[in-house]
Amino acid sequence: MKNRYLYLATLSVVLAACNSMPANRNSQLDQATEHFKLAQGDSQVSALAPEELVRAGESLRIAELAWMNGDKTDKVDHLAYMADRRVVIAQETASSKTAQNVTASAAAERDKMRLEMRTAEADTAHQQLAVAKLDTLQKEGELSDVKDAAARSAENLERSDARVNDLEYQLKDLNARKTPRGMVVTLGDVLFDTGKSALAHNSSHNMDKLADFFIRNPQRTATIEGYTDNIGSTSSNYRLSERRANAVMKMLVDKGVPQDRLSTHAYGEESPVADNASAAGRQMNRRVEIVFSQQSGDVSEK
Amino acid sequence: MPNVLFTSFSIRTITVLFVLVLGACASEPKSNMQMAVAEASVQHANTSSTSENANGQLQIALSKLDRARQAVIDKDYERAQQLAEQVELDSQVAELHAQSERSRKAAQETQNAANVLRDEINRKTPH
Repeated sequence: MKNRYLYLATLSVVLAACNSMPANRNSQLDQATEHFKLAQGDSQVSALAPEELVRAGESLRIAELAWMNGDKTDKVDHLAYMADRRVVIAQETASSKTAQNVTASAAAERDKMRLEMRTAEADTAHQQLAVAKLDTLQKEGELSDVKDAAARSAENLERSDARVNDLEYQLKDLNARKTPRGMVVTLGDVLFDTGKSALAHNSSHNMDKLADFFIRNPQRTATIEGYTDNIGSTSSNYRLSERRANAVMKMLVDKGVPQDRLSTHAYGEESPVADNASAAGRQMNRRVEIVFSQQSGDVSEK
Repeated sequence: MPNVLFTSFSIRTITVLFVLVLGACASEPKSNMQMAVAEASVQHANTSSTSENANGQLQIALSKLDRARQAVIDKDYERAQQLAEQVELDSQVAELHAQSERSRKAAQETQNAANVLRDEINRKTPH
């Protein structure tokens, strides 16, 4: 149908041209046809507004029919205008839908980007968390090292406290007393027979304790000091005190105390602790004193 | 969206039509009916959004409606019928143009937002 009308239209135009007559075309119709062709060639319009395009085509055909029927110009103009409006409606519908599609895809794109951003942020956060955890672990490690060290030194302190306490306790058992020179254990003359330097048999219990003490405190050194009363000559008393000190040292060495930690000193009648006028005072003056070094140092001499 | 638009369009058109047709049964039924359609179309199209986004198209429809009314007064019913038919389509064109303008602006805004977001992402992750 359309082709026939087109053919007729073309024919009439050709005929009109042949007759050298003024073009009897309707400009409104031409314009509408032109617009319709443009819209038809627009892939967006044909894809997104196909129904509107069909209606525009129908309108155009009606206008062409009216024109070919030789209807009044104002009627053809009117129908051409109607067709043209239908073309515009198709175009506007298509452009509206195009924009809506753009909006939809841009929104989708934005959502996708947001998701990517969130993912990236989450990844970064995870990494930071991991780094922070590693940091924390390292710091915890350092902290526990420090704690260990502190614990160790506390333990050492405790141990040395225990050792000191133990030392005092052990020596207390031997009636040790604290003096400015250090701990002093006095072995009374009951350990010796009068005028003899050999230790009496019953002294071995105390000597065992002493030896045990030296063995348990290997850093301790001691000076063994011999004293007498004032009976007899000064020189014989001096030699007696020396022999008694040596006897004590020998016994300790026999019991396993290294000799290099022991030394002896003979004082004879010097430094009496009691009055030699009475028998009881003289007995107290006949003694051997064991002076323990205060730290690891030497015993200060009198 | 367009479906909703046309549905409400049709309902309002039919309602107005019905009233006017009933009132004008006696004389010139054809042009009166088309006049009713034209009035309803313009009424529907005459919104703030249309006057903002498709003012030119809306003014064409409004002035043509006036001319149609005048034609009725002049008893030029054929012309009135034609103008009324044109007003109907002119109103639709105005509405659709306004709608496509709104859609175009919305698309532009969404694209801008997407671009801003893209820039932001690129700035945040320089690698």
